[in-house]
Amino acid sequence: MTTDAPPPSAESANSSDPHPRPPGTRWRTTRRRLLIGAGAVVGTLLVGVPTAIEFGRPRLAEMLLENGISEPELPDSPLVWFELTDSAITFHVPKVEMGQGIHTALAVVAAEELVVPAERLTVRQADTTRGFALATQFTFGSTSVSSLYLPVRNAAALVRAMLAEEAARQLDVDPETLTPADGTFVTADGRTVDYLAVVAGHRGPWSEPAAPPPLRPSSSFASIGRPATRVDMRAKLLGEATYGYDARLPNMLYGAVALPPRFGAQLVQAEPGDAAGLPGVRQVVIDQEAGFAGVVADTRTRAWAGVEALRLTWEGGTSVSAADLDAMIVPGDGSEIRRVGSVSRAFTDATIITAEYATPLAAHAHLEPLAALVRVEPGSGGPIEAWVPTQSPETVVGDLRTVFGEDREVVVHVTQLGGSFGRKAGQHLAVEAARLSAAVGVPVHVGWTREQDLGHGFYRPPTRTRLSGALDADGRLRGIQQLSAGGDIIWAVAGLPEAVREVLGFDPGGLLGQFAPYQLDAYRVMNRREQLPVPCGPWRGLGLLPNTFALESFMDELAETAGVDPLQFRLRQLPRTPEGDRFRRVLERAAELARWSTSASAGTGRGIACTAEAGTVVAVVAEVQIVPDPAVETSDRADESGVRVTNVAVAVDCGLVVDPAGARLQAQGSVVMGLSSALYEELGVQDGRVTTVNFDSYPIIAMPATPPITVEFVGDGEVPHGMGEPVIGPVPAAVANAVRAAGGPRLRRLPLRIRG
Amino acid sequence: MRLTINGERRETEHPDELLLWVLRDELGLVGTRYGCGIGVCGCCTVLLDGDPVRSCTLTAAAVADREVTTLEGLAERDASGAVVALHPVQQALLDTPLQCGWCLPGHVLTAAALLAREPEPTADQIGEAADANLCRCGGYNTIKAAVARAARAGRDSDRSAGEADR
Repeated sequence: MTTDAPPPSAESANSSDPHPRPPGTRWRTTRRRLLIGAGAVVGTLLVGVPTAIEFGRPRLAEMLLENGISEPELPDSPLVWFELTDSAITFHVPKVEMGQGIHTALAVVAAEELVVPAERLTVRQADTTRGFALATQFTFGSTSVSSLYLPVRNAAALVRAMLAEEAARQLDVDPETLTPADGTFVTADGRTVDYLAVVAGHRGPWSEPAAPPPLRPSSSFASIGRPATRVDMRAKLLGEATYGYDARLPNMLYGAVALPPRFGAQLVQAEPGDAAGLPGVRQVVIDQEAGFAGVVADTRTRAWAGVEALRLTWEGGTSVSAADLDAMIVPGDGSEIRRVGSVSRAFTDATIITAEYATPLAAHAHLEPLAALVRVEPGSGGPIEAWVPTQSPETVVGDLRTVFGEDREVVVHVTQLGGSFGRKAGQHLAVEAARLSAAVGVPVHVGWTREQDLGHGFYRPPTRTRLSGALDADGRLRGIQQLSAGGDIIWAVAGLPEAVREVLGFDPGGLLGQFAPYQLDAYRVMNRREQLPVPCGPWRGLGLLPNTFALESFMDELAETAGVDPLQFRLRQLPRTPEGDRFRRVLERAAELARWSTSASAGTGRGIACTAEAGTVVAVVAEVQIVPDPAVETSDRADESGVRVTNVAVAVDCGLVVDPAGARLQAQGSVVMGLSSALYEELGVQDGRVTTVNFDSYPIIAMPATPPITVEFVGDGEVPHGMGEPVIGPVPAAVANAVRAAGGPRLRRLPLRIRG
Repeated sequence: MRLTINGERRETEHPDELLLWVLRDELGLVGTRYGCGIGVCGCCTVLLDGDPVRSCTLTAAAVADREVTTLEGLAERDASGAVVALHPVQQALLDTPLQCGWCLPGHVLTAAALLAREPEPTADQIGEAADANLCRCGGYNTIKAAVARAARAGRDSDRSAGEADR
C-alpha cells in the first residue's frame, strides 16, 4: 500500500497536458448522484463521489442542486474516486496528508466497504483539476474522517456492487450468491474470483445496480476499528516520499524573496545592488508595484545570499513588542456570547473568587519550513502548475489567480506536508515561486529558511481570560462570569469585510473551548476580539488550548476554595445529560488510568482537565514533579522551569474509532505538543519583528522531557468524531493543576514557570 | 569533487556548499531534511563514518574521503537497488509508525548509530541519543519504544545467525 502526491517528474514536466486525468475523463451521474467513469478504457472501473464539503459537512450533488447550484456547475469529475484496473485498486482522496494519518484512515473506511485488506489499496492525493472547488480539499478542524466517512463508504459499496454484478455475469451465477472476501468473490460452490480479474474480464460500459447497495453493518467490520498499517510509512522510511521542500523538476532553479524587516512594512524601493553579480545568480526579479523583490539562482543558498545583497527600502510597519501585544489584550467589555440566568443574583451572598489567565503568542513550528515549486509556462496565458504542501489547495489556486488573472489555468498538486498544525492553510510561497518562474521561464522552487518560517508566519494569538465564580455555602458552583479577550484567528485569515466582523464582534475561532460544559444557574461570557499588528491565525485547535487552560485551571481554583477534590467537583457540576455522561466517563477513566485515588508522593501532584471539541470529549490527567533544587546545573529545560511532567493519562471519546493506531498517535502527539506549549513556548517580539526565529530561542519539547503517555478510547457508536485537535485542549490546565496539587504555586500564565 | 555517499562515488560541482544542500538539491537525496540550519533540530542528520553529524553545519569538501550514509542507504538492497531488508530501526518504525515523517531520517540514523555502538541501550541512553532530534508531531515515545524493539530484534537475529554458524 503506497501513497504519494503525483510527484513532479520528467514525464509530467514534458507532458503538454498539465492535467493528467484518469483514463475515463467523462463521468456520468448515477441515480444516486455518484459518478461512474464513462468511456473508460477496457478493463477499468471508475466510481467517484461528487461530494462538496463545507465547514466539515458533506453535501452531495443532489443537495447542492436542490439548493440552487445549477447542473453545469456540477463537476465533470469527482475529487474522491476509485480506479480499478487489472493490476491495482487506486483510491484518490481530496484530503491532504500532514502526518495526521488521513490517507490511512480513509483507506480503512474504503477497504471496509470494498471488503479488501486496506494494504491492497494504493492511496493517491487528488489535485485541484477535479471536483467541487469549495472546501472539499481544505483539510482542517478535525473534520476529515467524520465528513468523508459516509460518502466514501457509499462509493465503495457501489464499486463492490458493480463488481459483484459483473463477477456474477462472468461466472454465470446469481449476484446474490456471491460473498465478498479479501478482495475476491466466493461462489456458493466455493469458486473464487479476484476483483481485479473481474475488472480485466469486463467488456462494454458498466451498469449501475438497480437497488442502492447496502452498507455493511458495523457488527461485521473487519478493517474499521483495528489498528491499520500506515499507508505512507514505508516510502517515508526509505526517503522516497515527496514533501513540498523535496519537489523537483528538470531545469528547475531556486528562488528567494525579500521579506519585510518588521510586520506591516511595505517595500517602496528595490534595486539589485550587488545581487546580480553574485556567483550563481541568474536573475533579480523586482516588481515595485507589487512590492516584490526576489532572486533566482542555481542553488538555494546562492538565492538566499542574493536576496541579502539587494538594496531595499521599506516604509511603515509596526514597532510593537510582545509586552505591547499583551497589553492590547484586555478582557472586559465586548460581545456577550452566552447568557444563562442572572450572574448578579448568583453572585449575591456567595463566596466569590476571581482569577485571570494568559497565554502568549506561539508558533506552529512545523519541522518542514514552507516551500513551493511552481512552473509558469512561458507566455501571458500559459498554465501554472504548482507543487505545494498546503492544507488548502483552493486557496493556493485563488492566490495565484489573484496575481496572474482570474481565468488563468492553475493546477495545484499537494505534496506530503512535514507538519502543519494550521500554518500551511495559508501560505503564499506558490505566488512567490510563480512570480520568479514567470520571470525566468523555468520552474522555480522557493523554500523558506527556518528564520523566515518562524519570523514571518501567523501565530496563535495571545489571550487573556478573567473568570469569576460564585460558590454557595455547600461549595457548589452557582455561576461563572467569563471575560475573554484574544487576537483574531479566523477573521485574521478569512476574506470578510471588516464591517461584517465588527457586526459579529467576536472571532469564531476564539469560541473553541470557550464554553464551560458544567451545569450553572448563571453563566455569562463576554468576548472581545483584538486586531493585532502581528499576524495571527489558526493554530491546532484555534482557541481550544488557551480557553481550556483558563476554564479548567479556574475549575481547580474553585474546587480548592470549596475544599472539594477537583475530580469530584467536576463530576457533580456536570449536567445529567448524554453529553454530561460522556464527560463523566472520560474524567473517571482518565483518573483511574492515573491512579487518581492513590496519594502522590512528596513533591509530586496530579491535575485533571477536560474539554469537548469536534464532537469528541476528552479528559487528561498530568502528574508533575516540582524540581527542588534551582541551583542544579541542568540541560533539561523542564528542570529550568521547575516543572517536570512525569506521567500523562488520556481518556477520549471520539465515537467510533476508525484507525485506533492513528487515533492513538494523534492523542499522544496532541499531549506532546500541548506539553511543549505548557512548558516552553512563547514567541518573542521586539521592534515589530520576531526575536525567537530558530529552535535555539524558540525551544520545543524533546524526548528526555516527554513523559509516558497512556491513551484509552472509551467511546462507541456508529459515527467517528475528530481526533486532530481535541486532546491538546486540556493539557496545559492539567499540568498547571498538577503543579498546584504538588504544593507549588497556582500558575496562571503560559508557559508555566515556577522560576526562571 | 568526489564524495562517497551510501557506498557510491558521487560528484559535486559545489564543494563549498553545505553537505545538506548538495545531498538534497544536487544529488536528489531528499531523505536528508532541512529543519533549522543551525544544528539544533537534528532533521539533517547523516552518518559520517558511522557517527551522526549535522549536514547543515558541514561543507561537502569537509566530508571528502569519508563515508556518508543517508536514510536512502540504510536498508539492505540487492544489485538492482531493490530493498532486501529494512534496517531493524526502519522495520520497527514500519510496525509502529510516526506521523508526518519530516524528522524521521534524523531519528532513524541517530538510533542506527546508537545501536551500532551500543547494541543493548537503556531507555535513558535512547533518550539521550535522541535529545537533539526534535519531533513536532510528538512521536518521542513511539521512537523510544521502536529503538528498544529494534535493539532486541538485532540481538535476536545476531543470536540466530550465531546458531546457524554453529
